[in-house]
Amino acid sequence: MSDFTSLAELVINGNYNGAKDLTQKMIDNGNDPLEIINQGLMAGMNVVGVRFKAGDMYVPEVMMSAKAMSTGIELLKPLIADKDMPTAGKVVIGTVKGDLHDIGKKLVVMMMESAGFEIIDLGVDIDPAAFVKAVKEHSPQVIGLSALLTTTMLSMKDTIEALKEEGLRDSVKVVIGGAPISQSFADEIGADGYAADAASATELCRRIIA
Amino acid sequence: MGVGSSHGNGLFFRTLTEKQAEEIHLASCQVLEDTGMVIHHEEAVELLRQAGAHVEKGNRVYFPSFLVKQALQSAPSRVTLYNRKGEAALHLEGANVYFGTGSDTLNYLDPFTLERRSWRQEDVTNAIRLCDKLPNIDFVMSMGLLSDVDPRMINREQYAIMVQNTEKPQVVIAEDGDTLLDIIEMAACAVGGKERLRQKPLFMIYTEPTSPLQHPKESVEKLLIAAENRVPANFACGGVAGASVPTTIAGALVQANAEALSGLIIHQLKAPGAPFIYGYGNSPLDMRTMQAVYGTPEAVLFQGGAVDLAHYYQLPSWGYAGCSNSKVCDEQAIAESTMFTMMGALQGCNIMHDVFYMEFGITGSLELLVISNEVIGRTRRLLKGINTDKESLGVESIMRVGPGGNFLGDDHTAKHFRDNWFPDLSDFNNYENWTAGGSKTMIERARDQIKQVLETYQPKPVTQDVRAQIAEILRKAKEKVGEKA
Repeated sequence: MSDFTSLAELVINGNYNGAKDLTQKMIDNGNDPLEIINQGLMAGMNVVGVRFKAGDMYVPEVMMSAKAMSTGIELLKPLIADKDMPTAGKVVIGTVKGDLHDIGKKLVVMMMESAGFEIIDLGVDIDPAAFVKAVKEHSPQVIGLSALLTTTMLSMKDTIEALKEEGLRDSVKVVIGGAPISQSFADEIGADGYAADAASATELCRRIIA
Repeated sequence: MGVGSSHGNGLFFRTLTEKQAEEIHLASCQVLEDTGMVIHHEEAVELLRQAGAHVEKGNRVYFPSFLVKQALQSAPSRVTLYNRKGEAALHLEGANVYFGTGSDTLNYLDPFTLERRSWRQEDVTNAIRLCDKLPNIDFVMSMGLLSDVDPRMINREQYAIMVQNTEKPQVVIAEDGDTLLDIIEMAACAVGGKERLRQKPLFMIYTEPTSPLQHPKESVEKLLIAAENRVPANFACGGVAGASVPTTIAGALVQANAEALSGLIIHQLKAPGAPFIYGYGNSPLDMRTMQAVYGTPEAVLFQGGAVDLAHYYQLPSWGYAGCSNSKVCDEQAIAESTMFTMMGALQGCNIMHDVFYMEFGITGSLELLVISNEVIGRTRRLLKGINTDKESLGVESIMRVGPGGNFLGDDHTAKHFRDNWFPDLSDFNNYENWTAGGSKTMIERARDQIKQVLETYQPKPVTQDVRAQIAEILRKAKEKVGEKA
């Protein structure tokens, strides 16, 4: 078995200590850092994605695989120019103003990170101005707005309006989610997408970025 | 050993106190001694007379209490049923619980055409194949009364279907002694000889008194053949409270217990130490409709009492689960059957039958069978109780995750979440994904599963040789019953 195949296996099995050690060994042996990512770490993660979809792996196992991948990435990052780092996309995410709930949003973050997205998590109780600032600062392809309360979900509309006022609306896709949210609400406030759960949020972002 | 069932970890369930069990026991002994039973079998009456029973008018037998004690002394407190491969499959002891179907329903609720019609051989074959596949169905009974064979051959033909379409153990009904002897022959073929069958029984026989307090000739005949051949047997009163047994739960227990013990006494006199499964049922009479109904709260409590008496006597226990009075597999069917299944499991009833019974046992539903398979899965998880070892307490995990963290990404979750129960049929999707999957209800998913199993699954066949031997036994039996006619 080649080191690349072994590394992919370690990622699939969620063996993060093993993945870390092997990545280091491969760096020491002079392997190309980008190849280690693409043919080892990402190759493993792609298998995980397929198995997860087929129902053969469950979320906690995906999390362990993602952890294995990121331990390897951490070692490789300093060796690769920022612009060359492979990423599925950049997403800014936050729970909207007045709402402190974040378990669901955290699940989305974990799932998306494990799918290779770069996530900037602003946290909870984020007002429209803060989202605008983050979009200016990070230039994400997507921003994700989360709310659990029917009273706070209206702040999603305010955030979209704020983006429009700043002339940023066309440069970023807006996706929303949370217990009281529905597709019809997304349509009503002019969001680009709605996802009902963490797994479909990942799919949604992949789709609208492509 | 006292009454009650200890399941996993701290989980414990009991219906009677030890004192209550003793009260019922003493009352049953009084019935046996003072009222006695009518026994329509000469050999059995003679066995009892010689053992010290008092006999009047040729067949009215009064049982002195020492006979009860003697029988309980020689009866084994554990019985094992083996599968067709000869592996120990059902350990009928302690609080172990096993589930299986019932026998001889008149009507088949066809899961594809949805009609209610007579069973044909292919239907029973399919039903048994399905049972072979379902992981929580531990044994089979004949399920459907065959409408397309000679009526005198029904139980033999059913057995031939069962033994050739599942490796799982069986509980058997036989019309009479001759039928039982043929079934023993067929089972012996399948496991490699009579001696092997005797040592590792593949089936148990269900026999019953006719309440109140009568033993029909055929029932006793089968009981004696079973004892002689070491075929595990029960002697299970199917009481109808308010008609054939008293309407109070305690009264029903007293009489049913007396009947079961009388069967045990005859059985042990014939062959001391032969395997006996203690237990009986009760379907109380509904005083509005005059129906004997399954799984009423009283019937469920009654079973709890019977199982605690089994514990009191240190005998394996027999009972019911997963059955219903409903005419179709609807909400009532699931409510009644699920309650019985879960309670029976908590009671620690060793071998529970009638999973898939509808309409007081007149009709059988494969949808109910498949849904019950899932309910039993849930129940088995419940019986494991709460593990409180250091690893399960998870203090280190709580420390790692800390305030505001999330356990989803922690090693402890990845290591242990698969210990939890996972559904096979129950839908845990959100609304969007459920509708994307066709918005199917539980019963529709159950039908899909039945279809999928019947289209793709083949149970392990018996050898060509065994097949031929079974066919030959059936052929001879047909000749025999033909001669009698």
